[in-house]
Amino acid sequence: MNHQKPLIEINNLNVEYWQQGRWVQVIERLSLQVFPAETFGLVGESGCGKSTTANALLGFAPRGARYSSGEVWFEGQDLLRLKPSALQKVRGRKISLVPQNPTTALSPGMKVGNQVVEVLLNHAFSRSKEEARQRTIELFRRVSLKSPEAIFNKYPHQLSGGQQQRVVIAMALACDPQLIVLDEPTTGLDVTTQAQILDLLRDLRSQYGMAMFYITHNLGVVAQICTRIGVMYAGRLVEVAPTRTLFAKPTHPYTQGLIASVPRISAPSRRQSLLLKGILRRPDLPPGCQFAPRCDFAEEQCFSQAQQLIEVGPAHQAACWRWADIPAFKERLALSPIAIEPSLSASKPNDQPIVEVKHLQIGYGANRRERFLKRKPTIIVDDISFEVYPGETLALVGESGSGKTTVARALNGLTPYVRGEAKYAGRHDLTIAVDQRSEEILRSIQLIFQNPDASLNPRQRVSKIISRPLAKFFKVTGEAARERVERLLQDVRLDQSYYNRYPDELSGGERQRIAIARALAAEPDLLLCDEVLSALDVSVQANVLELLVELQSKRGISYLFISHDLAVVRSIAHHVGVLYAGTLCEFGKVEEVFNPPYHPYTDMLLKAAPEPDPDHVMPHTRTDIGLLDQSPNTACPFAPRCPVKVGEICEQITPPWQIASQSHRIRCHLTLDELLPRQNKDYELKIKESIE
Amino acid sequence: MSSRVSSLQITQQTEGFNVRLKRLPPTMIIGGVILIIFLVIAFTAQVWAPYPAAKTGTGRPFENPSSKHLFGTDQLGRDVFSRVMLGTRIVLTLSLSSTLLATILGGLLGLSSGLIGGWFDQLIMRLVDIMISIPFLVLALLIIASAGPELSGGYFLIILAVAIVYTPRITRMARSVAIDLKTRDFVTVARARGESTLSIVWHELLPGATSVLLVEFGVRAGYAPIFIGSLGFLGFGVRPPTPEWGLMISENRSAIVSAPAALFSPGLALALLVVGLNLFTDGLARVLGRTVRPGA
Repeated sequence: MNHQKPLIEINNLNVEYWQQGRWVQVIERLSLQVFPAETFGLVGESGCGKSTTANALLGFAPRGARYSSGEVWFEGQDLLRLKPSALQKVRGRKISLVPQNPTTALSPGMKVGNQVVEVLLNHAFSRSKEEARQRTIELFRRVSLKSPEAIFNKYPHQLSGGQQQRVVIAMALACDPQLIVLDEPTTGLDVTTQAQILDLLRDLRSQYGMAMFYITHNLGVVAQICTRIGVMYAGRLVEVAPTRTLFAKPTHPYTQGLIASVPRISAPSRRQSLLLKGILRRPDLPPGCQFAPRCDFAEEQCFSQAQQLIEVGPAHQAACWRWADIPAFKERLALSPIAIEPSLSASKPNDQPIVEVKHLQIGYGANRRERFLKRKPTIIVDDISFEVYPGETLALVGESGSGKTTVARALNGLTPYVRGEAKYAGRHDLTIAVDQRSEEILRSIQLIFQNPDASLNPRQRVSKIISRPLAKFFKVTGEAARERVERLLQDVRLDQSYYNRYPDELSGGERQRIAIARALAAEPDLLLCDEVLSALDVSVQANVLELLVELQSKRGISYLFISHDLAVVRSIAHHVGVLYAGTLCEFGKVEEVFNPPYHPYTDMLLKAAPEPDPDHVMPHTRTDIGLLDQSPNTACPFAPRCPVKVGEICEQITPPWQIASQSHRIRCHLTLDELLPRQNKDYELKIKESIE
Repeated sequence: MSSRVSSLQITQQTEGFNVRLKRLPPTMIIGGVILIIFLVIAFTAQVWAPYPAAKTGTGRPFENPSSKHLFGTDQLGRDVFSRVMLGTRIVLTLSLSSTLLATILGGLLGLSSGLIGGWFDQLIMRLVDIMISIPFLVLALLIIASAGPELSGGYFLIILAVAIVYTPRITRMARSVAIDLKTRDFVTVARARGESTLSIVWHELLPGATSVLLVEFGVRAGYAPIFIGSLGFLGFGVRPPTPEWGLMISENRSAIVSAPAALFSPGLALALLVVGLNLFTDGLARVLGRTVRPGA
C-alpha cells in the first residue's frame, strides 16, 4: 500500500496550546499519511491529542491553539498555510468532519434537510434548491434513514441519537468528499446503534471509496472498522500498523498494555502484569520516551532520548528503543498471572440472598395531589424479580432507557413509587423511602455513580468527602477519622498526599477511587455500582475493575453492577439480568447468559458489542433494528424489534419464563430449543431478506 | 488541573504574592484600598479625632472649613470632620452587620427551601414575593414603626429592619443555587446516606453557594450605607447626636448654601464608601465567577 501516493499527509506537526500563561506542547513531531480509500484509525486515551489531530486535518486551529511547525499536505497544498477563503473550499467539500455529538452538531432551530441543502448550495455542488433537495433525500437514503422525505422536514430534536448521527454523516457525504474525519462518532450512542452506524460506514466505504480518518478510544470499534491503526500517547504517535498486525503483534509496550486492558466477551480473564500502571502525568514527562515512567522495560536511554517511529515489520512502525528486546505480546500474555477472573459462585447454594426482589414495580410521578386526582404514576420498571447473594455480583445490562439505574435508585429508596416485594437480608423492607429507613440499612447499602465529576462535591476536600459517612454512621471525627480516611485511601490504592486535595485536582480514575472509598467508609454489605466504569479510559477502567474485584474478595461485599458494557460484565459478574424497557428478559449465571440459548435481545446485544479482535466479524445489522421504546404497548416489550418474533402472540400475551436451568430463565414465547443457535440462522436470513 | 485553582487561594507556591495581586481586577484593588482606609479610620478615629463627636460649641455654628475645623462646623458648632470620622465606625457596623445577618438568614432559608421543595418551598417563595413587592424604604419604615418606641432609634432595630428587607432577595438567590445543586449526584449520595436536610445544606450545598452568597453580601453591603443613611435622614434611624452620616445630612440640610461643607462632607464620605464597596464586590464577583469550578 505504501507505494501509493498518500491522500493527505501530516508532516512533522507540532501543536501548542496556551495554558496557564505559556504555550504547552500537545502534539509533538506527528507525521502520518492517509491513503485513498483506507480507513485510518487513531486510538489513544483521553487527552492524548486525537481531536487536535483531527482539527489539523481540517486546517483548523481552535482558540488558544497554534501550529508551531509542520505541514498538512493535501492536493499539493499545505492546509495550515491556506487562506481562510481557500480553506473553505476544501472543508466540507473535499474533507468533511463528523463530530462526536450529533445533538450539538445539528442546529436545533432548522429542519435537518435544509441543513444538508445549505452545505450543497454553499459549495455550489448543486445548482438549484430543488436539485439540492433531491440530492439530500438521496443522501438520506444512502445512510439508510427510513422514509427520507419525512426526515427531511424534521427538526433535530424529533430524531433519535442514531438518526441524528446518520443525518450528520449524510451531511459529511454531501459533496462526495475524498476524506471524512470521524471524531468519536459512536461514543454517545448505545451499542446496538453503534453497531448499525459502524455497519453503515463500512458499506459507504465499499460503495463510494472515500478515505476515513476514524478517531476513537474504543479498541473494539477500530478493530471492526479500520484498515490501519495509529496509536497515540501524550501527543506522539507510538505505533502504526495494519489492523491485523497491530492486534496480533503489538510492539510498543503501551499498545500491548492497551490491548491487554480491554475486556473481551470471549475471553473474560485478563493478565495482570500487562495492565498499564499509573496514569499519564503531563507535567512530569521525560524528554525521551513519554511512556517511559509507566513502562516495565524502560532504560536510561528511554528517559533521555526520544525514539522516532522506526520500521519493525512490514508496514509496521513503532517508536520504542527496546522493541526488539521486549517479548512478543502472545508470550507476555501467556506468562503473566491472571488479574481478573470471574470467580466461581462465592455463595453456597443454601445461602440466604442479601437482596431478594419479587415482582417489583417502580415508577415516577404521581405525588399525593396527583394520586388524589386518580392519576397513575409512570411505570418505568415492571415486574422484575432477582436475588443478590452475599459476596457476589449481580449485573444488570441493557440499553439506555431500559431502567437499570431506576432499579438501583429504588433499592436505595430514592424513587417515589415502589410496589412489590424487596427484602434486605430477608427481614428489612427495601420498598420504603430513604427517610424511613433504619440507620443500619442506610449504612449497609451504598451507591457509586457513573460520573465521579458529579458525585463528588467540587468544594469539598477528599478528607471531608470520605469522612462524611464516618461522622454519620460511626460518629468518628477528628484524629480517629483522619486515621480511617487514610486507611481507606490505602484500600483504594491512593497515598496520603490525596488527603487535602480537591476533586478537580484529580484524574477521572482517581476521582472514582475516592467515590469508592467514600462508599467503603460506611462498611457496606451491598454496593450499587451505576455504570461506574463508563466515564473512564480503558487502562483506568481495567485498574478500577481489578480494585472492585479485590475489594469483593477481601470484604465479601455484594455488588449490584449496572452497565451497558457486556465485556466488563462478563469479567466481573456472577449473575446477570438483562433488562429491556423495564422488564427482565433473561436472568442467570454469567456463563449461562453469555452462552446459548439466549433471549433474542441478549443475542442482539452480544452481536452488537464490538470485540477488539479483527477476526471476530460482526454480523450485518444494516437495516434499522429500531430503538428501545420505553413504554411499548405490546405484551412482550421487545416484540417490535424482535428478529425472531413468533407472531401476534408476542404482542398480545405476556411471554412465559422458559426455565433453562435452576438458575437460568428466559422470558420468551419460543421454547428453549427454538432459542438455541439455530435461531442465529433465522436471524441472518431475516437480515438478508431485508437487505434485498 | 491546577489552572483552575483560584488566584485568591493562598497557597504555599513559590510564586510571589505580587504576581497574584497583579492578576486581580484593578477595580477590586481600588475598591479594596478605599475600604481599608475606611476600616483604619473606623478603628482609630477615637484616638486622633480632634474633638469628641457630640461636643458642641467647638466653634461658631456653620463655620466654613479652616485649619481648625477641616470640614467646618454644624448648627451647634460641632466639628464636622470629627463627626464624619467618628461616624465611620457606626455606619460600617450598621451596614455590615445588617447585611451579614440578612445573608445568613437568606442563605439558610433559600438553600433549605430549594432543597426541600414542595409546599414548603412554595410557602417561602410566596412570602418572599410579597416582601419584595413592597419598596425597600416603605418596608423598613413599617418594621421600625411597628416596633414601638422603646426599641426605636436603637442600633438593634435598624440592623433588624435592614436585614429583614434584604433577606428575601438573598433567599431567592440562594434558592436558585440550591435548585441547581440538588440534582447533582453528590447530593443524591448524601440523601441516600440518610443525611438530614440541615446537614445537606451545611455540608453539601453551602460550599457551592459561598461564591454566590459572598457576591450577594457585597452588593447588598454596598447599598446598605445609603439605605441606613436614608433612614437617618427621614428621622427613623439612630437618634441624635449620634454622628451617623444620613442623620448629619438631614441636620445640616438647611445650610446647603451658607455652609455646604457640613452637608457635603458626610455625603461625600457616604458616596466614597459605597463606591469603594461596589468596586470591591464587582471585582470579587469577577474573580469568583472565574474560579467557580465547572462542576460547581
